Amino acid sequence: MPVLEVNHLHKTFGAVTAVEDISFSVEAGEIFTIIGPNGAGKTTTLEMIEGLQMPDRGSVAFGSLDWKRNADQIKMTIGVQPQSGALFDLLTVEENLDLFASFYPKATPTATVLEMINMTDQRNKHVKKLSGGQRQRLAIGLAMINDPTVIFLDEPTTGLDPQARRNIWDIILKLKGLGKTTILTTHYMEEAEKLSDRVCIVDQGKIVSLDTPAALIDRLTKEREVRLSLMDGEKAAEVTEQMALLHPAVVRANREGPTLKIWTTQPEETLYDLFGFTKDRGFRVEQISIREMSLEDVFIAFTGKEWRD
Amino acid sequence: MNGAKQFNKMFVAQLKMMFREKQVWFWNIFFPIILMVLFMIIFAGGGDDDFKATIAVSEPVQTAASEQLLGQLRQVPVLELKNEEPISKEQGLEWVKNEDVDALIILPESENASSLQLIVNMKNERSATTQVVSGVLDKFIQQANLAAAGAQPVFGMTVSSVTSGEDDLKYEDFLLTGMIGLSIAQGGLFGMVDLVDMRRRGLLKRLRMTPARMGLYGLSSMLVRLMLGIVQIVVLSLIGVYGFGASLHINIFSLAIAFFGGALVFNAMGYLFSSFSKTIEAYMGMANIASMLMMFLSGVFFPLESLPVWLQPVTQALPLTYFVDGMRDGLIYAESVTNGAFWLGMGIMALWGVASFLVGAQVYKTKSISEEAR
Ligand SMILES: Nc1ncnc2c1ncn2[C@@H]1O[C@H](COP(=O)(O)OP(=O)(O)OP(=O)(O)O)[C@@H](O)[C@H]1O
Ligand SMILES: [Mg+2]
Repeated sequence: MPVLEVNHLHKTFGAVTAVEDISFSVEAGEIFTIIGPNGAGKTTTLEMIEGLQMPDRGSVAFGSLDWKRNADQIKMTIGVQPQSGALFDLLTVEENLDLFASFYPKATPTATVLEMINMTDQRNKHVKKLSGGQRQRLAIGLAMINDPTVIFLDEPTTGLDPQARRNIWDIILKLKGLGKTTILTTHYMEEAEKLSDRVCIVDQGKIVSLDTPAALIDRLTKEREVRLSLMDGEKAAEVTEQMALLHPAVVRANREGPTLKIWTTQPEETLYDLFGFTKDRGFRVEQISIREMSLEDVFIAFTGKEWRD
Repeated sequence: MNGAKQFNKMFVAQLKMMFREKQVWFWNIFFPIILMVLFMIIFAGGGDDDFKATIAVSEPVQTAASEQLLGQLRQVPVLELKNEEPISKEQGLEWVKNEDVDALIILPESENASSLQLIVNMKNERSATTQVVSGVLDKFIQQANLAAAGAQPVFGMTVSSVTSGEDDLKYEDFLLTGMIGLSIAQGGLFGMVDLVDMRRRGLLKRLRMTPARMGLYGLSSMLVRLMLGIVQIVVLSLIGVYGFGASLHINIFSLAIAFFGGALVFNAMGYLFSSFSKTIEAYMGMANIASMLMMFLSGVFFPLESLPVWLQPVTQALPLTYFVDGMRDGLIYAESVTNGAFWLGMGIMALWGVASFLVGAQVYKTKSISEEAR
């Protein structure tokens, strides 16, 4: 039975349609990621689920609980890290946790939370003096202070450096280890791929696609872009391009001077065969690359649009 | 349930936050102290205990009326005559020029002339002393006129302004209590900036995601403010009494009522400003305007009598006027709570508080929380 069910949520602000008919359900223990560009409606969707905004239409149910009848009960079973962080800057890390703990009838001991977010050493530091990553960790700590079953994290890693980002991933995975259900939003495909059980891509308030990361990437990686630069001039590149186009896995190719761009459904095999060809002809290869797939590609593939920020 | 625990934690947390915010100390404690000390030094004549203006009186023609006026002038407690007998106008002008006296009063120049002249040094034209002397003289003339018209027997008047009526009320006492009132009022007017800041940073929204009781949060924050107010009273009083020789006659009941009432009213006004303010700057702008207007129109630094008559209706409408009055009732007049005027003042002040709160609450209600923290 799903812990969270969202049905046909709609929300408009004046002329702006922020959320248009979003539905999904989340199973216990899942990490469910909502990914989309700025203004896609991620925060608005979360806030409607968290009971902070009234949807224009649609419904939200936590098991058998809903906001109309069981607001207090829901508040006790969920934990929220809002996008804006929202910490008491003049209190220390531990004082923040203590204060939030007092709001709930039962709370996780602060020492346990401090350990989870790896901030035991900084517990007496004023929040004002924390780094961005530490602030974000504390915000997550506050979201877990009431030992919730469902945790909402709104862009916990945006603006952090790779190391700080990885620290946050560790915490999220630890939460999963504890059997928590996590609903996460992000801009980073890599993050979604690494953490999520399922990914929901949204754009302009609508769900573009919803599946496991493996399935999404699978659909995407049907074609990859391979680049090849030759040291022996345009003529060599031209011959190689003609050769490549004969390969069964190659969909199309183009050439700019000595550099070839080849789109192929089987990059390894294509490269293997091309290297065989260049070696036979005695062409020297200067550079090769297989372009990494990014959220942009996912987005472009599913919406047919450029990534807008 | 866990209300008491929650309240405790909220209170302690807000107390700590207040302690750690340097701005709070500066604006609520140091700034009022500096302001008070400056005013004390400039206007109280540096340790001269009683407020006294030294004047000279010239009597161009000696008539029955002028003799009577002279006799009465001698009895006004705050006016000290430099010369026992009237002097010539020229001599008086000389004294004014040399600042030997604060003012020269020239009695009617002839038998049927009825105007008094007040001459002060140009340099001091706008000084507190001039204001007070002219205020006193004004009152004095009114009374004399009444008497002359037969509305009252002879010149048996009491000059009933704050500055001259209360024999043992010194400017130090007056200023000290005015400053206490002003700083408590400002604490409320400016203090609600916290609310704007919390809303701007999404903290209000964050609290609403928890089962925290917002009412308790508000209550604990109010309690912290009241404590700050008590600190203000104590610190300013100590400096006023020991540093400048002010003396207090306290009635604890009227003081408590004026203090709690005033703190609530000015916090309610701050709350109203906060409901209109999207940014801290907008809030500070409103609070500054309100505070500046009231500061000079509510008898904080100088008696209301020294303000032009046409301004009196304005001052009579401002809540700070009644708050400062109430605080003076409790701190220096030891006025008991049975006094009707005290309650009238508190009532007018409370109207401001109730109206501000109701309007503020209404504005908050019509605003959606989704507008917060973006
Ligand atoms: N209170 C509001 N008033 C007006 N417009 C709003 C409001 N809240 C959201 N919007 C608009 O709704 C759309 C969705 O906003 P939302 O914050 O949900 O996007 P998001 O996906 O969270 O973006 P980001 O990645 O930048 O956080 C945006 O166009 C935004 O401008
Ligand atoms: Mg967002």
